[in-house]
Amino acid sequence: MSIDIKGVNKLFGDFVALEDVNVTIPTGQLTALLGPSGGGKSTLLRIIAGLDSADSGSIEIEGVDATKLPPQKRNVGFVFQHYAAFKHMTVAKNVAFGLEIRKKSKAEVRDRVDELLKLVHLSQFAHRLPSQLSGGQRQRMALARALAVEPTVLLLDEPFGALDAKVRKELRDWLRRLHDEVHVTTIFVTHDQEEALEVADEIVVINEGRVEQKGTPDQLYDEPANNFVMGFLGEVTTLGGHLVRPHDIEITTDPISAGAEEGEVSRVLRIGFEVRLTVLTDDGEEVVVVLTRTHARSLGLDVGSHVWLAPAEGANTVLALDKAATSG
Amino acid sequence: MTWFSLLVLIPLAAVVATAAGGGWSGFWQSITSENVVAAIRLTVWQAFLVTLINAVMGTATAWVLVRYQFYGKRLLDVAIDIPFALPTIVAGLVLVSLYGDGSTAEIPLLGIPLDWATDERAITLAFLFVTLPFIVRTVQPVLEELDHDVEEAAASLGASRLTIFRRIILPSLTPAIAAGAALSFARAISEFGALVLLSSNLPNKTEVISIRVLSFIEGDDPAAAAAVATVMLAIALLVIVVLDILQRRVSRRG
Repeated sequence: MSIDIKGVNKLFGDFVALEDVNVTIPTGQLTALLGPSGGGKSTLLRIIAGLDSADSGSIEIEGVDATKLPPQKRNVGFVFQHYAAFKHMTVAKNVAFGLEIRKKSKAEVRDRVDELLKLVHLSQFAHRLPSQLSGGQRQRMALARALAVEPTVLLLDEPFGALDAKVRKELRDWLRRLHDEVHVTTIFVTHDQEEALEVADEIVVINEGRVEQKGTPDQLYDEPANNFVMGFLGEVTTLGGHLVRPHDIEITTDPISAGAEEGEVSRVLRIGFEVRLTVLTDDGEEVVVVLTRTHARSLGLDVGSHVWLAPAEGANTVLALDKAATSG
Repeated sequence: MTWFSLLVLIPLAAVVATAAGGGWSGFWQSITSENVVAAIRLTVWQAFLVTLINAVMGTATAWVLVRYQFYGKRLLDVAIDIPFALPTIVAGLVLVSLYGDGSTAEIPLLGIPLDWATDERAITLAFLFVTLPFIVRTVQPVLEELDHDVEEAAASLGASRLTIFRRIILPSLTPAIAAGAALSFARAISEFGALVLLSSNLPNKTEVISIRVLSFIEGDDPAAAAAVATVMLAIALLVIVVLDILQRRVSRRG
């Protein structure tokens, strides 16, 4: 049992939003759809919710073919980037909306709303209007509203995208803990790889309408399927024709290992505890190397230093086939 | 405030003063005379009726203009304002030529003649004509600004289209509808030009209040005219306040 997406295509005019997408989302997990803006991940989420329809292909939710079902009948909870709060209703009324539609008894609605507001820490705001809440509080309200109907799937479209960095980080932790409590199958869309790596059980990387790779955060980080995934999940630099993470490069002032590339430090940038070096190798590559400040000091590195570079032991490298694809 | 006082408050005070000049009994006599009471009743009732029709039809028109794409939409969007721009006497003229005594116009197919110029229906039509744009124009921008996410959120929570309209869209539109209704009602009770020609202005039957005021002035009784004007002022104020209260209630309820 899960969400099965098979052969989904979607065009907006000439623009290919999704191209033959096949992916299975596991039940009870927190899955991230990760990718650059305009890559099709939000469109896929909206198609799962029934807010957009696929040109071809099918969507199956927990064994039920949902391809032709209207959003009302899919029993999904959807959380929007900009909250989509019902502005004229109090927080409690917002949360109660889906329950009232389902004709639950007054007492039942009240109990469930109380319970949910407690879950999202908004009990004391029950009688406020959404406009009297902060962005983070509004998004928690939206989440409670979506959870109220006990959805089969919870879909979150860039849920923290409109919030400032600090609140975003708090909510991210909170979402993870909430999911550990509620265990509803959850899919969230994000373009922030750190967010996906930190929160998700599973990550589906989507780019230009196609699924690039699917796997756990560790799998994706350690065994990226291609240049794009490697580049999107973290910073990369090119060393000896291979993509490698800047912190996975061993730097020495003597030629110790045989395959090391020789070069000269052309730029030094200190950011807090880390030092970023740009090294111009004799082969004409510009390599970025990240190391701790202490390490850099112990090697006595500065602009003009003569150095040797090699991938650290156990580092992942991917053959750089297409430079343009990895520059982002 | 000074600007408002100069333009509005002082002249209005002058009217009230003139009305009071005739003494309380004179004032009372003027406004309780048979003609005046009938005219007030007719005007307020017709204005109320027309505002009600506009609230429904104006909202529907705005809805169509915002949500649907069709051939001639731009033209319709512009044409909505014609009753605004037209001197209302021209509106009267247009309506007379269609519904007046000599008119041969009929409702197509049914053959019901449209010589309505001498009864209340003429007033309804004239009011509808001149007040058409108000609610359309107040609702339209609000509808355009409405967040589509909110409707999608309601749909995914299981709300049908009708429920979405009733519980999500309508409450957001209520302030705009109320504002438009206030304008529409105010315009209707003050309408003059379109009716001078049209409703035959039979006292007690089809004479509206503004024309009653004119009759008083023509009959050299400015005190009575001012008294009636004062009553109209009170009615207008009352309506605006009531609509405001109503609007606050409805938009809070959800």
